[in-house]
Amino acid sequence: MIIRGKKSFSANVNTIAKSEGVNMVGDQCEERKRTLILGEVENRSIAPITLELLQLGKMVAGKTGDLLSVALLGDNVSALAEVIADFSDEVYCIDKTLLEPRYSDFYVNALEVLCKSITPNLIIAGHSTDYLEIVPRLAYRLNADLVTDCISIAVGDGGQLFFTKPIFGDRLQADIVVDRKPAMVTVRQKSADRVSQGNGKGMVINFELTIDGPPGKIELLETLPGDNVSMEKAEAIVAGGRAFKTKEDLVMLEELAEVLRQYFTAVEIGASRTLVDAGILSRSRQIGQTGEKVAPQIYIAVGISGASQHVSGISGSKKIIAINKDEEAPIFEMADYGVVGRYELALPDLIVKLRELL
Amino acid sequence: MSASMKILVCIKQVADPEGPASAFDIDSEQKKIVIKGIPPVINPFDENALEAALKLKDKFGAHVIAINVVDDKLSMAVLKKALAAGADELVILEDKHFVNIDASSKAYVLASTIRQIGDYSLVLLGRQTADWGSGQIGMIIAEILQLPCIHLARRVDLVNNGLLVERIRKVGSEVLKVQMPSLATVDSEIGELRLPLLKDIKEASKKPIHVFNASLLNLDIGKLRIRAVHNLKFAPPRKRECYFIEGATPQERGSNLASKLREDRVI
Repeated sequence: MIIRGKKSFSANVNTIAKSEGVNMVGDQCEERKRTLILGEVENRSIAPITLELLQLGKMVAGKTGDLLSVALLGDNVSALAEVIADFSDEVYCIDKTLLEPRYSDFYVNALEVLCKSITPNLIIAGHSTDYLEIVPRLAYRLNADLVTDCISIAVGDGGQLFFTKPIFGDRLQADIVVDRKPAMVTVRQKSADRVSQGNGKGMVINFELTIDGPPGKIELLETLPGDNVSMEKAEAIVAGGRAFKTKEDLVMLEELAEVLRQYFTAVEIGASRTLVDAGILSRSRQIGQTGEKVAPQIYIAVGISGASQHVSGISGSKKIIAINKDEEAPIFEMADYGVVGRYELALPDLIVKLRELL
Repeated sequence: MSASMKILVCIKQVADPEGPASAFDIDSEQKKIVIKGIPPVINPFDENALEAALKLKDKFGAHVIAINVVDDKLSMAVLKKALAAGADELVILEDKHFVNIDASSKAYVLASTIRQIGDYSLVLLGRQTADWGSGQIGMIIAEILQLPCIHLARRVDLVNNGLLVERIRKVGSEVLKVQMPSLATVDSEIGELRLPLLKDIKEASKKPIHVFNASLLNLDIGKLRIRAVHNLKFAPPRKRECYFIEGATPQERGSNLASKLREDRVI
């Protein structure tokens, strides 16, 4: 089945037509209710968050009776669409260059056209840095209620949807009820396991549209590569906090990470937000509410006081070890093992002993 | 860029996010959150947005207007901090219809105000609030006003009549040139809000404060919707039983930690 949507696209937000001029020909989409997942591509493969959303979507669609649909947009994504089809009922694939989240004007336009033609009941997206420029704009255009940064979805007896959202720095949680359609939600990393069991029955639908129009109001001048690190794959994380004042101070953390590499294959240095804001460690290493959510075998928090916003990113860790000079620091309430003392004094002996043991 | 460039910064008053867990309580019947014993502050990410505006003001000259929607109880002392730090005017939007409204309604109120103020070059907001953390209001305002928008700026600057923005991505960042007027949400990496000097605090009391309500803004009250809270609860406890490593000195405790981890087969 091929669905053709015709639309001239422009990155100029002042001239975006609100989907008039969308001309659908060919087979119309089956009149079924849909739960639509916005798929993400990362390093030319399916992003881990998408595999988590598929698991969550399977549960929701199982209760609502919806078709589980996935939208996959981007350059050369057809092969990935085939993979996702194994875990869903249908994949709407828009295989085009320029359809990258960084060109969010194009991306929003494309999603708007797709969503207006397949009219999903529920749209699930990841609460991911690159998509938060996109999802609220899509919600506005679809006149949808969007609840962001949720950790679970429940379906009520009457079919209403309940989204659980941590609030006030993860101290409290609110269940938000949405009864308008479509409902939209962004879901936090690691809120569900990755889907593992495929059924192989999904179908890939190539959704065609054209993109052209005058140059937009946003021009990409330069891409700065940054620090391509995968915190979510780390087996061990050694993280530093406020106690570290300069880049030079990190030497000890690196030594600790190095010795742990004798035992774990993936060991990374992590950071609290303070360290990132101070420019000592890169953004992609930040752990917590506005950073990465991690679940390593061991998490060693060094000189981290344990603010609620930080610990919300580490609660999935198997063992948490805290080293802090303040025995009252809240991080110890979260830790399995604690060392009270200045890290400058405790770390060298820890490293020496680990070298001996590992 | 002329000295009359107008920058609008949306600031929210929130309970101090650094406050202890015990300060946050729930009134289940009213489905309300009760804050006890901690003062309100300007949402820290909005302070970053204000700092970004003030940096542009330092460098190029600008007229900075801070805008606040009163959600709960207004604390003038908290909002005046924005004026003391360097904002030129404060706009307060207060109406019983604005209490507990959802994110898209708040975006509608703010966008209507911004349109009414008019003739602006840039709208800035924090990436999200420290209380409900919705993180969607900025992008919705941009949609309503049809502004080019950037989420998550770590740096803003001006160049050849355009806005230069460094936008944070999952990996790395991108430098973009954006036509103005435009809107950006900023991250904490942009820098903490400067501390006002005593003379600035005195000066601040002379700066204009405007108060608008729904009818002055010509708002359609029917478009305002209350946040659809079905239930409020405390986050499940994350507490673990901490085994404190013994030893006479930090050095000894460091070494004993290694032995204990091996003994427990953690490593």
